[in-house]
Amino acid sequence: MYLTLEHLTKKFPARGKQVGEVAAVDDISLNIEKGQFVTLLGPSGCGKTTTLRLIAGFEFPTSGHIILDGQRLEDVPPNRRDMAMVFQSYAIFPHLNVFENIAYGLKVKKIAAAEIKRRVDDVTKLTQLTGLEDRAPNQLSGGQQQRVALARALVVEPKVLLFDEPLSNLDAKLREEMRFEIRDLQKRLGITAIYVTHAQEEALVMSDLIAIIHQGKLAQLGTPEEIYEQPRSRFVADFIGLSDFLPARVESYDATTARVTVAGATLTVPTKLGLSRDQSILLHIRPYDIEFVGESAQDNVLPGVIKQATYLGNIVDYRVEIGQGLALRVQASTDQRRAAGERVRLHFPASKCHLIAEE
Amino acid sequence: MRRISREPSVVITLAILVGLMFAFIIYPQVQVVLVPGLGGYVSFLAEQTWVKPFFNSLQVMLLSTTTAVVLGFIYAYAMVYSKMPFKPFFRIIGVLPLLSPPFVVAASYILLFGPRGMISYYVFGQSPNILGLGGLWGVQTIAFFPFAYQLIADVLARSDARMEQAARNLGAGPWNVFRTITLPMARPGLLAAILTTAIYIVEDFGNPALIAGQFTVLPTQAYGLISGFGDVTGAAVVSTILLLLALALYVAKTRIEGQRSYVTISGRAGTIPRPPVPTVVNVFCFVACSLLAILILMVYGVLLVSAVVEVFPVKWGLTSKHFEFLTSNITPLQNTLVYGTIAAIICAMFAMLLGFLVQRREWRGKRIVDFIAIMPAAIPGIFFGIGYATAFNQRWLDWIDRGALITISMIFWNIPVGYQAAIAGLQQIDRSLDDAATSLGAGSLRAFRDILLPMLDGALLTGFVTAFVRAVTTLSVVIFLFTPSTTVATIKIFQLVNDFMWGGATAFTVSVVGVAVLVLVIVWTISGRRVGLQRTG
Ligand SMILES: Nc1ncnc2c1ncn2[C@@H]1O[C@H](COP(=O)(O)OP(=O)(O)OP(=O)(O)O)[C@@H](O)[C@H]1O
Ligand SMILES: [Mg+2]
Repeated sequence: MYLTLEHLTKKFPARGKQVGEVAAVDDISLNIEKGQFVTLLGPSGCGKTTTLRLIAGFEFPTSGHIILDGQRLEDVPPNRRDMAMVFQSYAIFPHLNVFENIAYGLKVKKIAAAEIKRRVDDVTKLTQLTGLEDRAPNQLSGGQQQRVALARALVVEPKVLLFDEPLSNLDAKLREEMRFEIRDLQKRLGITAIYVTHAQEEALVMSDLIAIIHQGKLAQLGTPEEIYEQPRSRFVADFIGLSDFLPARVESYDATTARVTVAGATLTVPTKLGLSRDQSILLHIRPYDIEFVGESAQDNVLPGVIKQATYLGNIVDYRVEIGQGLALRVQASTDQRRAAGERVRLHFPASKCHLIAEE
Repeated sequence: MRRISREPSVVITLAILVGLMFAFIIYPQVQVVLVPGLGGYVSFLAEQTWVKPFFNSLQVMLLSTTTAVVLGFIYAYAMVYSKMPFKPFFRIIGVLPLLSPPFVVAASYILLFGPRGMISYYVFGQSPNILGLGGLWGVQTIAFFPFAYQLIADVLARSDARMEQAARNLGAGPWNVFRTITLPMARPGLLAAILTTAIYIVEDFGNPALIAGQFTVLPTQAYGLISGFGDVTGAAVVSTILLLLALALYVAKTRIEGQRSYVTISGRAGTIPRPPVPTVVNVFCFVACSLLAILILMVYGVLLVSAVVEVFPVKWGLTSKHFEFLTSNITPLQNTLVYGTIAAIICAMFAMLLGFLVQRREWRGKRIVDFIAIMPAAIPGIFFGIGYATAFNQRWLDWIDRGALITISMIFWNIPVGYQAAIAGLQQIDRSLDDAATSLGAGSLRAFRDILLPMLDGALLTGFVTAFVRAVTTLSVVIFLFTPSTTVATIKIFQLVNDFMWGGATAFTVSVVGVAVLVLVIVWTISGRRVGLQRTG
């Protein structure tokens, strides 16, 4: 493993009226391979920034270890960690011009002027900043400042590149462009990157691995596909994409599938969870994976009544009641519009259903 | 926040800074308090010679603070709220007294109203005895109302104009708004300003020394005991009493400031115009400020005139002989300039580095060091001076150059000024800037030098200018430290006034004020910005 977090924990003295301590980072363990792009994703205040600052060395862990390339980092000050951080606020040095900003890390490392020039030139080309070298930071647009921050971090060829919500101050269009740009550069240069964000699309588009953080704990670690298709908890499922949750009961199961009862009907669902009979469980499905079907279809079908239909342009968003006060969200194409009060039959494709061992 | 233990260079730097603070702030103070010993305290307190000066100090503090604050408040109100004309002029007049030793007011007062004063004797033919409480009260009022004005104007300027606008829109009259909105919101700030003024006044040494006569106050008693009787023990007890008095005021002040102040500190409040006040108030403000400005101009005008005429106010012939006297005795002025400049530079840098380590790093004992850095603000100059005299006027320390010792006293007495400027400056700078430098490979001290220091130039200059002005205008701190070759200008002035050599004294005074103004203007010109003075306390 290239970068390892072992039971990383950081407690802060509680602020305000509370007493004691709050664990901003709570026993997080994580393995990252060289060249991987790992995203820390979670809601505001879950401890993403603190985790990143621990890795960078700006905070000192309460307990746990950080190991980079076989070396424990506890006693290594942040400036010797061979990591470079890109900040949400960009943190461009306002009294230095673009060239000086980018060259700063190299100057600190006492690299010869000619070499500095060459490397800065390379990286300005890479980040499309050529021609702006003499500009003062306040003469740059937000996107350009972002690029300077990126270039400044790339040019020192760090072992790990750290990003703390670097795109959150850009407008939507630019944000999308920069996502691909950053990911592309990271892949081309083969740099290991840890990227903090609370925007799920960003995480899905950019990452090799996503670590979902919830209240300082690692809720789930996986590829974007795994996180999206097989969330292990209600929290993860809820946080990424839209979700329907249905309380279910296990009727029977074998190694790969289970039959569960939901609202009086029985559904067949693939699963690898260790189950027991009569166990209460949560069935999870995305609203746009549920299909309206005709009378003929029988398997994995539940009847319901449409309570509300909302037109969203590309799709229609329905609220469907399936009895016992249980309501679902269903999204379907606009081709065949249904009205409130209409009786419908909902098909839950087995491949789209998935069980969460909770409740 | 970042720990420093992994960076030896930072640990060493911090150890040096803290060590110096212990040597030059804590150690001398402890010396003063310990010098009398228990027996010394008991016997001196039993003699009760300190009782009268103690109550005198309290009495004149109450009187002078009241009048200085009232005048300062009027001036501040006029500057912040009124639409009176010539505000820039009044602003400059209000700053002038901060650039000069406070005791020049006493000197000027003697020239105007003394036994041979221009007004008392040559206009009214009287030879009054002006020494005593009355004269001191008047002089301290004039000397310290500009300080009160600065402090109060700060508080008023921070009050939120938006809220006042809103209240006016709801139909409240201007006086009503001021009474029911502005004053209650500004109350903690105003109380703190009053207490700070009181501290200045109770610690004042120069004015009572020149004009109080038999009306002895604590600082003059401490001075008299040493210079007259060589009674270091007594002086130490007296100045310790003075210290306790000042500390009590200081603690009260910090308590009040610690209370939630409703004055918005958005910094934006100033951009919204304040609701207009009635014409009659504008007129009153203008008249009041004009009178006060005339008073201040008179104080300095007299000094200036006295410096360029034969014998003020008897022989009015223009002469340059007083300045010739000054140039043939130039050492004190040179010393002032050299010590003041060196002290101010070191003080500003020292305080900036300390501010960085306190504000940006995590280490044990930080709060104590923070407290020590602010402490000298509450220490009376005379106490500080006696501390240096007792701690460092010793045989085994004879190798220390006296000029260096004076410089060091100026550095550490002014640490709070630079330190507060540093903290205020650092709070303005996003932490991610120095973190960025660090993550690019720069150590703490390197990041401080490359990134923070250039961005803190304003705070650094504020610290420098304020420390310089305070260093060159202080009398009480250095009065026990000088030798003939290390005399500074304020001491020379003090000696000349005591010898009734008014021409020379005023020539020196004009030069000191001139130097302070010059330095301020030079800093403004070089930096291209109008750095102000850091409020102390
Ligand atoms: N220096 C500190 N002292 C005390 N508490 C802190 C400190 N820094 C962070 N916290 C607390 O730790 C928790 C995690 O903070 P952190 O900044 O890591 O969250 P985050 O996931 O980055 O949130 P956001 O998305 O809003 O940036 C929060 O509850 C925060 O209040
Ligand atoms: Mg954050």
